[in-house]
Amino acid sequence: MEDIKILISGDKAISVQMGSEISLEVNRKVLMLQAELEKNPIAGVTETLPTYASLMVHYNPEIVRVKELSEEIMKRTQTMQDIAAGKKRIVEVPICYGGEYGPDLEYCAELEHTTPEEIIRKHSQHDYYVYMLGFAPGHPYAARFEEPFSFKRRETARVMIPARSVVVQQNLSDLIPFDQPCGWNIIGQTPCEICDYSRKDPFLVHAGEWTRYRPVSPEEFRKIRKQVEAGKWKPRIIE
Amino acid sequence: MGIQVIDPGILTTVQDGGRIGYQQYGVTPSGPMDERAFALANLLTGNQAGTEELEMTFAGGRYKFDTDAVIALTGADMKPQINGEPIPMYQAVSVHAGDELALGFAKVGCRTYLSVSGGMDIPLVMGSKSTLTSKHLGGIDGRKLQKGDEITFTATVSEIPLQEKRVLPQPVYPAETINVRVVAGPQDDGFSRKEFRKFFWFSATIANECDRQGIRLNREIPVQHIGDGNIISDGIAFGSIQIPPNGQPIIMMADRQTVGGYPKIGTVISVDLPLLAQAKPGMRVNFIEVSIELAQELYLRECRSRKEIEERWRA
Repeated sequence: MEDIKILISGDKAISVQMGSEISLEVNRKVLMLQAELEKNPIAGVTETLPTYASLMVHYNPEIVRVKELSEEIMKRTQTMQDIAAGKKRIVEVPICYGGEYGPDLEYCAELEHTTPEEIIRKHSQHDYYVYMLGFAPGHPYAARFEEPFSFKRRETARVMIPARSVVVQQNLSDLIPFDQPCGWNIIGQTPCEICDYSRKDPFLVHAGEWTRYRPVSPEEFRKIRKQVEAGKWKPRIIE
Repeated sequence: MGIQVIDPGILTTVQDGGRIGYQQYGVTPSGPMDERAFALANLLTGNQAGTEELEMTFAGGRYKFDTDAVIALTGADMKPQINGEPIPMYQAVSVHAGDELALGFAKVGCRTYLSVSGGMDIPLVMGSKSTLTSKHLGGIDGRKLQKGDEITFTATVSEIPLQEKRVLPQPVYPAETINVRVVAGPQDDGFSRKEFRKFFWFSATIANECDRQGIRLNREIPVQHIGDGNIISDGIAFGSIQIPPNGQPIIMMADRQTVGGYPKIGTVISVDLPLLAQAKPGMRVNFIEVSIELAQELYLRECRSRKEIEERWRA
């Protein structure tokens, strides 16, 4: 196994680095360690936070000190179990591309020297892997593994973009749960809530899951939006 | 039965021990900026650790009680008064139905905590009553208090055991310079040894951009990275000192983002975070490197001293 490093993040957290690159393989190890710590908890660990390549472990030093925790975690990285192979949970997310919902779609097509339809095809034909949630509640950091776009961020960031925007750069695409500043291009909007505190599970997607984008017309967008607002809409899950 | 907000002050929010277990979904823990003042207020009123309190920033405002209660105020001295008569900070105080609590501006320090014996009736969101205003989460409708808000207390308490003994020394906050101890890492290797040392040689000034999310610092000489100042985004702890590509540090506080892509040169130790929580723009900050072992020993010492106080006041 690649070198696992434990980094000190102050007196109440460590960052367990499972690798030094953004890849499915390294991220799976992060989630494996998290699963191991959920299954067989270590006394004093208060919560864990998976990121691209590391698991942050928050702990109470009154119960466990840095040395014994680090040693125990290193042991766990040797004994942790593989996440069931082939188990892929895909959340289907409807998106209305272009127009008022995706003001940058045509600009992205220009940047790629192609048509808006081709941008939509590339974005909706491949599944995206959710590496982690962060930045805002329920905000997925997701990537696809085929046909990346060549463009990166916009030259200047927008001060505020609307909640539910779908933004892209290269092989990355994020769903924006709340109004926020953003430097990426907006190609569409989803009618569903990415984070809704009133739901039992507020989050549309979770780390380690996949998303699949289904293009919908403005009419269907408005229809789904009404269902969402009435609390009657549920995403299609493909397993 | 509880309090009515006549004047909410500048930024008053409900905070409890924090929203634990949701960082993996991108939800920051929130909770008090000054964990020490927060903990001592709950000790004074006989509450369990982590019971919700009001966190007032810069100026406290005015509140009318429509029930008897035992309260305690800690943190920055906002010269509290009941019906125009001064009341002490860091002491359990009985108030009566009809009383009005008024707080002014904090001359030194900037955050004051109000604990009410028994706690406040605030809905739990994801297991916590803490407010995260930027994400409209928790507290009272996810926002700061406003005029006319009413907060119901969980219990009517007119006296608590050993109340006359419940007094603690009031801290004196520095007005100009704070010395803050730091444990190196997680990305201290993103800086040359010389740059790392320089971080501790030169002080920094607290910028105007300082809030519950983070405290921005200005240094005359920016901190230089070895690389381009970006890392693979990883987790952020309370007190993480991020160095963005421009070399001006940002200390991540209670409402921080859960993950970030800037290298973190070090992390402020838990027992020194309250100094930052009470510091104002324009103040100078000196950093001192300490070992993780010392940081944890100091934290444990503080936990023990709180337990001793709790024991002493147990009826």
